[in-house]
Amino acid sequence: MNLRALAQNISSDPQADTATPGATGVLNEQEILLSALPPSRAQKRLTLAIVLALLAAFLATLPFAGMPLGYTREFIPAYAAAMFVIFLITSSLLFVQFSIVRSRALLAISGGYLFSTLMTIPWALTFPDLFEQTDMASTTWGLLSTLWHVGFPLFVIAYTLLKDAGPATRPLHRSLSFAVVSSAAGVVIVDVLVFLVTAANETMPSTLAIFERSYIYWNSLLLLAFLALALLWARRHSVLDLWLMVVMCGFLIELCLIFLVGRRYVVGWYAARVYFLISSTLVLAILLSETALLYRRLARSVMAQRQEREARLMTMDVLSAAIAHEMNQPLASIVTNVDAATRWMGRPTPDLGEVKASLEQIRNSAYRARDLIGSIRAMVKKDDRNRAPLDLNELVREVLALMERELQRKAISVELALEEHLPFTKGDRLQLQQVLTNLITNAIDAMAENKRPRILRIKSAIQEPGGVLISVADTGKGIDPATVDRIFNPLFTTKSDGMGMGLAISRSIIEGHDGRLWATANADRGSVFQFVLPGNISA
Amino acid sequence: MQTPPLISIIDDDESMRCAVKSLVTSLGLNARTFASAEEFLRSSQVEHTSCLITDLQMPGLNGVELQKMLLAQDRHIPIIFMTAFPEERLRTRAIEAGALGFLSKPFESQMLINLIEKAIEISRKE
Repeated sequence: MNLRALAQNISSDPQADTATPGATGVLNEQEILLSALPPSRAQKRLTLAIVLALLAAFLATLPFAGMPLGYTREFIPAYAAAMFVIFLITSSLLFVQFSIVRSRALLAISGGYLFSTLMTIPWALTFPDLFEQTDMASTTWGLLSTLWHVGFPLFVIAYTLLKDAGPATRPLHRSLSFAVVSSAAGVVIVDVLVFLVTAANETMPSTLAIFERSYIYWNSLLLLAFLALALLWARRHSVLDLWLMVVMCGFLIELCLIFLVGRRYVVGWYAARVYFLISSTLVLAILLSETALLYRRLARSVMAQRQEREARLMTMDVLSAAIAHEMNQPLASIVTNVDAATRWMGRPTPDLGEVKASLEQIRNSAYRARDLIGSIRAMVKKDDRNRAPLDLNELVREVLALMERELQRKAISVELALEEHLPFTKGDRLQLQQVLTNLITNAIDAMAENKRPRILRIKSAIQEPGGVLISVADTGKGIDPATVDRIFNPLFTTKSDGMGMGLAISRSIIEGHDGRLWATANADRGSVFQFVLPGNISA
Repeated sequence: MQTPPLISIIDDDESMRCAVKSLVTSLGLNARTFASAEEFLRSSQVEHTSCLITDLQMPGLNGVELQKMLLAQDRHIPIIFMTAFPEERLRTRAIEAGALGFLSKPFESQMLINLIEKAIEISRKE
């Protein structure tokens, strides 16, 4: 029988579950959200490299920008389809981020991408040489282009301005219904804009056409895009900001090229599209890979949490409950069988067959109890298979993190004095974690009625020759000198609800690791528990 | 002659199941054993059971869940719970839901016998 599995079973019974989830292993918001994640050096370098490459490509295109390339019928539909998909996926990724933190900035940028997605359709449909070749259609297309070139930077600016504000205070609707409603609103808004543009174009085509070719027009578009980029630069601090800057660079290069060539179907005109497509694709690819990375990190964190939880569940309370449960089972069978056998014997004609059956059951139950005790011993016995080099400092920090809530609740302050160059030791992580958990739990319990400051001092040190020492000291009620020799005995306890197994098992574990565990009185009242394990195992 | 009342015993622990069965039959009663709550629910004994003795913690449906299911099916069988892991919360919940008794393993057999007699009396009245 595996007691460890048993203890976990008992604790995972929802009705018997008393353990709180581990305090560590939980990623904080900063680590989950692209909008909050600070960029790493490598990411910064990559962004810079991409921006420089885009710039170089832009400069390299300039001498040939005016060279005619001829009309390719498939280009605009293919380009529009690609942009539609890219914008849509980017928008959904950003919307997911928004639905987690409810930041208005993320909603703005996700909305910006949704706006772009929706604009792509009328933009492609009105493209002059695709379906009809009239001047009016040409202007409509130009105006839709303008609308998008104005709209997108505005969304980016909105994002930049909103991102330092806190999350939306008003609770928003459920993400899904909100997504549906906002998408529908987006469609309606874009429809209205397209309608207005077409209508305006029909009433005063020449005015708009002239305006479109003016320098003021181009300069204001460029200015707006530059403003968005500058704002992003000034307020940059997350991965998302970085990649949006790449998008804005691609956007600016596109605008510049279109402005400089002023004609369709020349190298510059095609290059403008291609560069923007490249920068958008890159950003989407990076967003996707970042999301995948975050997913991996989250999955790992969840797994780590589960492991910590399992380790935590092996505290003495749970273990003793498991032992009690498993011991009570054969005991109950023995008692009931004895009573049944007595009754069968007491009949006017005793049923010896039934008596014999009961006696056999009693013997089996007794064997079972014996095996159970054996398995408890085996649990703390030396088992080399689970042993690996360990950094005890790390283990101390882990256990403290697990018990953080408990320590805070009991108003206990922790003083750590960890030796930086502590040699590694070889051990069973779970067992040693259990020892530390036991010692710290005892220290917490000892300080429960303290009027004096409650201080838990944990120290690690090098113990010559080649040993590693850990000491756990408390400022609690201390150890009665009369009982100091007995505290490590099984079933010795000073607690009203304890089984007295904690220190006994802890000592067995440490001795199973060829170490020593002992207790002394603390200099300023309280007690100190210390253990030494063989060190000098290089990592 | 009337057939003796049927006592159904559910426990995932075989030795406990047999011990209780032996005790019950020594009283001159009929006993049937089941290794799980599901096995009991599937059987035809549910209708004829005068008293149900069940373990509380079992793989699959636990004792309290079984009690709830029986009540939902409008079967008011007197139930005696046994547990090797007594927890006040579960005890209260079981008693509130109308359990006849709650025994912590190991228990005195006379306590179980008294409860069984009480259960048979209740079943007879209904």
